[in-house]
Amino acid sequence: MSDDARQRSPWDQGSLPENVRAGVGTAIIGDLAFKRFYAKLPEALVIGEGCTMELVHFDVGPKGRMVVGNYCYFTNAVLLCEDRVEIGNYVVIGWNTTIADSDFHPIEPAKRMADAIACSPLGKGQPRPPIATQPVIIEDNVWIGPQVTILKGVRIGHGAWIEPGSVITRDVPPMSRMMGNPARLMGPVSA
Amino acid sequence: MTLAGKLPWDWHDGVIPANAEISSEAYLETTYIFGRFRSNRDAACRVGKGASIYGGTMLDVSAHGQVQVGAYTTIVAARIICDQLVQVGDYCLISWNVLLMDSYRQPFDLEKRRRQLELLARTNPRYVEGDAEPRPVVVGNNVWIGFDACVLPGVSIGDGSIVGARSVVAEDVPPYTIVAGNPARVIRNLEKPE
Repeated sequence: MSDDARQRSPWDQGSLPENVRAGVGTAIIGDLAFKRFYAKLPEALVIGEGCTMELVHFDVGPKGRMVVGNYCYFTNAVLLCEDRVEIGNYVVIGWNTTIADSDFHPIEPAKRMADAIACSPLGKGQPRPPIATQPVIIEDNVWIGPQVTILKGVRIGHGAWIEPGSVITRDVPPMSRMMGNPARLMGPVSA
Repeated sequence: MTLAGKLPWDWHDGVIPANAEISSEAYLETTYIFGRFRSNRDAACRVGKGASIYGGTMLDVSAHGQVQVGAYTTIVAARIICDQLVQVGDYCLISWNVLLMDSYRQPFDLEKRRRQLELLARTNPRYVEGDAEPRPVVVGNNVWIGFDACVLPGVSIGDGSIVGARSVVAEDVPPYTIVAGNPARVIRNLEKPE
């Protein structure tokens, strides 16, 4: 087996942040997993059993709460959670996919300018304006390919298949195959 | 002449796999690109003279996979997911974060996928081995693929064509055309050289 630097540093129960819980047989691999984990809530991230979380970024904000089911397989996914992200069992997420439950900045220009100041080095202590969030729900057995973008407020129905590179802006019905930007229904998932 | 062993300038402590045939006139920035290379067939990775492959690239090649990169081709950073054959011709320009995949690696059938994921939890290292029919990806000569583009299993791209940035290519691209969009469509034709 070739030398794979990225397999070297799996997290264990001892090294995980205290508000993260991972089930038996779950491997969390990669130094950057909690680089932007700012969650303050207890049990802010709960991952089930038998999961493979390889080079995933768990970017959970102070009020965020993320749940991942059993036997999920994520590679190099960026999971941005300011409110709530719920992922079911047997979910696959491919390389370079981003899931976000927030827009991170206000839409309205005046509020956005205030946010730019609050985020700047001169904005210390200044509160940021409120920012819209809507939970993302991904049901069981969903397959999400590489380079996919999933935006806030989306529910992806069980067994759906999201083709690589898709941008999901709306709810996806169960067992449907989606593709494109914005993603459109290609038909049912069939073996 | 082929490159072998360690690369003198490499930041990563790795070697070129024994079954890779890298022209000594090619440039590899790092052996890190072989971090997920586990093919055991002959000539599993062929890189031609004058080709260069830079650090953001990852050759995720399973046991029977073969990746071929032609002469004078530059790959800045591609994720190559290969269970059978991913072939890139000569004089190609492959930009950053490009995905070339000849297999989805996971079956459409839910029950089979669940069994595969349960098996994955018991393997070390945790590689998903292909459980979907691979369909080769063939990129012709003189092709330019823009950043963030995805090329899906079974796709062939004809000589001289351009794939626009962020495109998702699900169908064959004729030679000397520009395709763009997600899903990608032909947006114009290019003049074929004499």
